[in-house]
Amino acid sequence: MPLWKNLSVIRKGVQLLAFLFLVYGSVFVGFYSADKISGAFPALSCAYDAKTADYCVLIPLQHQFGHSVGRALAAGTFTLSLLLPILTTLGTFLILFVLLNKAFCGWLCPLGFFQEVMGMIGQKLRLHRTESLDDKLVDRIRPAKWLMLSLLVILFPLASGLGFVGQELGDPFCKICPSRILTTLAAGQLNQLYIDTSSIGYMILSIIADTLFGLVLVLSLTMRQPFCRICPMLALHTLFRKVGLVKLVKNYTSRCDKCGLCAKACPMDIREIHTSKEKDILMPDCTLCGRCVEFCPDKGVMALKYAVIPIKVSDPYYFKERNRAQKVWEGKKTTARQSKKS
Amino acid sequence: MRGVWLAGVLAAMAVMPCPAAAAMHWAPAPVEHEKGHGGHDRSAGKAFVLVDGEGANLTLINPKLLEKPLASEGSSVTLKATGMGNYHALLARRSQAGLQESAIRYHYMNGKPSGTSPSLLIAHEKSALEIVPDPLAREHWRYYANTDARFIVRFQGKPLAGATVMMATTNGTTVGFMADADGNLSIPLPEDFAEVKAGRADNRPAEFVLTASHHDGDSRFVTTFSAAYHVNPEQWQSTGLGLATAGGGMLLGGVMIWRMRRRKEDK
Ligand code: SF4
Ligand code: SF4
Repeated sequence: MPLWKNLSVIRKGVQLLAFLFLVYGSVFVGFYSADKISGAFPALSCAYDAKTADYCVLIPLQHQFGHSVGRALAAGTFTLSLLLPILTTLGTFLILFVLLNKAFCGWLCPLGFFQEVMGMIGQKLRLHRTESLDDKLVDRIRPAKWLMLSLLVILFPLASGLGFVGQELGDPFCKICPSRILTTLAAGQLNQLYIDTSSIGYMILSIIADTLFGLVLVLSLTMRQPFCRICPMLALHTLFRKVGLVKLVKNYTSRCDKCGLCAKACPMDIREIHTSKEKDILMPDCTLCGRCVEFCPDKGVMALKYAVIPIKVSDPYYFKERNRAQKVWEGKKTTARQSKKS
Repeated sequence: MRGVWLAGVLAAMAVMPCPAAAAMHWAPAPVEHEKGHGGHDRSAGKAFVLVDGEGANLTLINPKLLEKPLASEGSSVTLKATGMGNYHALLARRSQAGLQESAIRYHYMNGKPSGTSPSLLIAHEKSALEIVPDPLAREHWRYYANTDARFIVRFQGKPLAGATVMMATTNGTTVGFMADADGNLSIPLPEDFAEVKAGRADNRPAEFVLTASHHDGDSRFVTTFSAAYHVNPEQWQSTGLGLATAGGGMLLGGVMIWRMRRRKEDK
């Protein structure tokens, strides 16, 4: 299969460009580019990276809940106008989000890309991979992203602003985010991989951050997207997924019942895309990577669409070629040329 | 090379009075120290004093370069929110008999996104002689002790080769520097905090003032740039321990994978 026809290869190319842009972009587009682009990017691109071109929406959200709303509530000076910065941040996020929907995860996030690259390295090292997680384990993990969003992005910052908890919890998600460590390391800074000894709270948060980073690095060698499953951005995207222009649609046929290849291909183990009879199958955990469409063998059953325009529609010929390319990549079969010869 | 540098600095010290004591510059008005996080001091209603600035014209320039005169009470001004977010420039200008002085300070204010980046405000020629931050600290960035801060010295909009600049800090450091042929200046912010406590919130920032002076014909130009700088968090953040902990995380990951495999094999 020619590389330019392979959606996963195209996606890797886009992810690589996005990684370069988000991690080093300000070198090319100017130091203050975040002020022009959004300052509320819908993927984990970090403001601690001195060269970033734009930074993630979760940073201003935590600060606005903590510094602005929390402190004003504590001082008894809260007015509705204090919600304006939060609405502005969410509005800016939404303008971008509508354009690409959850594809910010599958196509642009630096941490999502890093986990995929580690997975590819794991495949090449012939490590014993767990392609699909156990259904029960998946179900147990799923609520974690909501806890991460509600506790680490909203409630703890708010409680910190109110004075109920220490200032350590003013921006707790940033404090533990593996993308902060990844992107700063990629930008040549070692100053975000640290243990903070200034207080017990900061020490615990920095231990969690560094451990999580090490954990994600190793787990992604043998498991698909380990951090994405608990990422608060995934939860935030879920809240707005109905307004995004990129859609994942399915035309259910009875043949689906016996197949299930889409769910097997899904890096987020969303088994519901197999069983669902709905047209809109953009599930909360989806990252719009499009693998399910690639690996659906039935013509026109699954499609990635931009509003009403189909971008990628499932097709038996593509499926065959893609499957063969995958096996060649994984070293499971002789190369396509060799198999032709034999 | 060192001789040229020294000669330049000595010449600068000869032509300008002690900057900390005499050159007009902005400083934060003394307030009771408030504990807490703050990448920038974003609060509206922030007060500044213009040191040695009697008779100067005061202006606030917003991110879109709209200039507004600033009313002062004595030597201090209180900045109220302009409704626009991002960096604003506080500018003081004074001209008297062959001497043109200016003092510039950048201040972050919360408000509606301006849609412009600080590059516009920074590039804007605010006075004939100007010390331009290159770049100015951004979100999550500050001036830290033991790091280099970069500047460009400009005269009439063009880089001033070999400009001499004096740095004075409120912690008592005074050092001279000389810009290169393109007016670029890299200033190592000194580690001169007498007492360092562990943690950002427990250390007050200090101030540094850069003063540049230049003669052009019969006119003399003096400008200052002032900003806060902070104790470097590396004092209480250990990279070695961080690396070791990440290594521990990797090990934990290895154990988890091994256990998952065992469990699968047992089934
Ligand atoms: S879910 Fe994964 S891809 Fe999406 S923002 Fe989080 S880390 Fe990035
Ligand atoms: S459902 Fe499809 S598009 Fe969404 S994450 Fe799974 S494979 Fe990717």
